[in-house]
Amino acid sequence: MKQSSVDAVIRGLKKAGVSIVCYLPDSLFKQLYPALDADPDIRTIRVTNEGEGAAICGGVFLSGKRAALIMENSGLRASVEPLARMGLGAGIPVVMLMSYRGELGENNWWAIPHGITMEPVLNALRIPYRIVREEDQIEQSIVDAYNWSYNAYYHSAIALGGEIVR
Amino acid sequence: MKRYDCMKLLAARLKDELVILSLGASVDEWYNAAPHMREASLFQQQLGCVTPQAFGLAAGLPHRRIISLDTDGGMMFNLGILATLGNEQPKNLFTVVWDNECYQSIGGPPTHTAFGRVDIAAIARGAGVENAYTARTLEEFEAHCEAGLKADVPYIVVAKVAGTVQPDIKRKHSDGREDKYIFVRHVEATEGIVIMGPSEHN
Repeated sequence: MKQSSVDAVIRGLKKAGVSIVCYLPDSLFKQLYPALDADPDIRTIRVTNEGEGAAICGGVFLSGKRAALIMENSGLRASVEPLARMGLGAGIPVVMLMSYRGELGENNWWAIPHGITMEPVLNALRIPYRIVREEDQIEQSIVDAYNWSYNAYYHSAIALGGEIVR
Repeated sequence: MKRYDCMKLLAARLKDELVILSLGASVDEWYNAAPHMREASLFQQQLGCVTPQAFGLAAGLPHRRIISLDTDGGMMFNLGILATLGNEQPKNLFTVVWDNECYQSIGGPPTHTAFGRVDIAAIARGAGVENAYTARTLEEFEAHCEAGLKADVPYIVVAKVAGTVQPDIKRKHSDGREDKYIFVRHVEATEGIVIMGPSEHN
């Protein structure tokens, strides 16, 4: 990621009122994680798997603070159980920002499953999402996701792909 | 040791705290053992999410004591949260693990703790939660409640309880969505904040 894209993500999170980020690091967002760690206005919590991160984010929602779950899109699969139960069972929302591994142009065989499953899994959970490939759309897309999730009280997702993460 | 008796001892010590707890028979027991904590308690239905959610709440409200009432099955489902607690060292999270060595709500098949080898408190200590203990008597349990509720480090007590349910207790009628609203409105009222506010007019 370019520094300007990292900056756009952090601007978007702050504009949306996010003060806590749970993450499990990946390679496409490699530059984003240390920038989040270094930001004095954001507390980062490293998690052992993305489902744990989703549950922590759900708890942050209940506190009145705003959280984000940041991960590779493979983390979506690890999060399905807590997302389904919190979102569909209780109406506790989690906003996710994920790197789009496995889209056309992918040059790692192991990442192909992530691309094939991301949108069907989001659709199976009825989670609205936006795939962003232009840097100038990052900030507003993050804000839009929070506006939607804090009216729907349901999850939403932004996937960053294309040149943003390549 | 009966879980219901433990709950009554814990409940007597609670006033302004917030509680996240696991679904199953323990919900109805908690409702009956701690009626004054009804609005301050949120029942969550997923294995592996209770203590993570309680930790998220603790991270968002660092001035307030949060209690996680988790289970052996729930903790075994996501042991990673113990390592996260070990690293993050929340100052305001007290976790109770009701370890009845079975999946009680589906009729009682054994969990991994039933065979005398798996020790959740030892796993927690190995994950960096130094104050993690096993309680086998009401006296031990109460002593850990007293210490855990005032600790400024994460504190876990694994309560070895019988696989029985307190008879003749009232059932809770609300579902997860109603419980969420009740809990959120309680947090809003007691914290003086808005979590689920009005829509815009536009």
